[in-house]
Amino acid sequence: MSQKFEEKPGEGTVKLRVRRGVGSDPATDRFDEFVVPMEKGMVVLNAIHYIQAHLDPSLSARWNCKAGRCGSCSAEINGRPRLMCKTPVESIEGDVVVEPMKAFPRLKDIVTDVDANWKVAAMIPPFTPKPGAGEIFRFYQQDVDRSREFRRCIECFLCQDVCHVVREHEADYVGPRWVVKAASLDMHPMDGLNRSKFMKDKGGLGYCNITKCCQEICPEHIVITDDAIIPEKERVVDREYDPLVWVYRHLRGSKEAEAQSFRATGGAP
Amino acid sequence: MGLRSDWKYLLPYELLEPNWRLWSFVAVLAVGFWAVVAFPVAQFAGYIDPFYSPTVLIVPLPGVFRLTCYAYRKDYHRHLFKHPQGCSNADRGEAAGRKYTGERNAVFQLENFHRYFLYAGIAILPFFYYDFGYSLVYSGQFVLRLGSLVLLANALMLTGWTLSCHAFRHLVGGNIDCYSCVAAGNARKGIYDKQSWLNSHHEALAWISLLTIVFVDLYLRGLAAGLPIDVTFLRF
Repeated sequence: MSQKFEEKPGEGTVKLRVRRGVGSDPATDRFDEFVVPMEKGMVVLNAIHYIQAHLDPSLSARWNCKAGRCGSCSAEINGRPRLMCKTPVESIEGDVVVEPMKAFPRLKDIVTDVDANWKVAAMIPPFTPKPGAGEIFRFYQQDVDRSREFRRCIECFLCQDVCHVVREHEADYVGPRWVVKAASLDMHPMDGLNRSKFMKDKGGLGYCNITKCCQEICPEHIVITDDAIIPEKERVVDREYDPLVWVYRHLRGSKEAEAQSFRATGGAP
Repeated sequence: MGLRSDWKYLLPYELLEPNWRLWSFVAVLAVGFWAVVAFPVAQFAGYIDPFYSPTVLIVPLPGVFRLTCYAYRKDYHRHLFKHPQGCSNADRGEAAGRKYTGERNAVFQLENFHRYFLYAGIAILPFFYYDFGYSLVYSGQFVLRLGSLVLLANALMLTGWTLSCHAFRHLVGGNIDCYSCVAAGNARKGIYDKQSWLNSHHEALAWISLLTIVFVDLYLRGLAAGLPIDVTFLRF
């Protein structure tokens, strides 16, 4: 891709096909074509801004930082969920097709309503300090290495959009972003909750079939499937399937069993 | 789209797609079963066929280990069941009208016992190194031949694949939330980090280790058929 930048820096024009429409009204659903002058290093969001400034001010697009930090400008570019501000126009062969995220209801043009995510967020059992954690948490770098990776999430919800379970099936699956959230809490050294039962029963973790699309498209390069979803699945195996772990847990005595029954509530306190 | 280094442009794109891992696995199962039944070559000139190590009767165990492997799960859910086929999908209709239960139904819940097949896989690993050692000394003197190196390569790849398993990752440290709270926490974090590096190559190792098994089997069959493909490096 880097070679392509050198081949045709800022020459000519690029054609954008932008999906327009208001809400879910099929009568307004259409593709509009715009021809935008190329500039060196231009990203798709620049082209959208050019359209708004020079061609059609009625085009709606959500954006904020233009630097891949805020997660606002999520869209589907040539079918692939991406951030508009991190997609160089020159990396795309042919016309640039910009569509809203299909997993969420459209408000207008490429702006979608991602509110459903906050309802799911409220379902995840929150951080709960483990017994004896004290007032001031004291832990070491190696204890938070893993959950730090998940803090990179900018909540662009591209993983939710690309996930076929969230997108195409009416399944009770929280989606990749929220498994990442649960994993970041589960792996926190000072957290005392075991969210495995919750993730299996209410979180619908079993719906994930490891096809790794979320991991492929994450703009923050969080290794969603390998580092969050599969470890969460292995914890569910520990809690719900593995007979050896079950025996081990019961042999460890009443104190541990008590802790388990407390954890087994799995719901929010 | 994707970041491909230059040499990969020489290959057809389809060869780099993960479905080749799936279909090669299916092919190995079919050809392996047929070959083992129709033309058994359990051993030739001190080389033990990996299908027979330690005995052909346990072949189903590594077979199920691969079937429940997270790398293969990705492949067959994408390319066999097409849930989904790919990630760039303007209007993908491949799931339309089909019921989807993911890994929640009775059959796919068996995936959750992957770790038990891992235990079996680890138990089988030493036999491949035994085969390598046996091929060196089978004749009573020490002899190093090309076939022995092929056996060793196969053993190493199988070890790499087995020990890069996600269930193993959970076992060696993924199940610990607070490394400074447990005994030998630093060492366990170290092991976990190294295993995580290996784990990031799990998909590649899954395929390579499959190819090496087939290669060893074909190599032995070639030798048994009288092909002059073995080279002796050392004999004393």
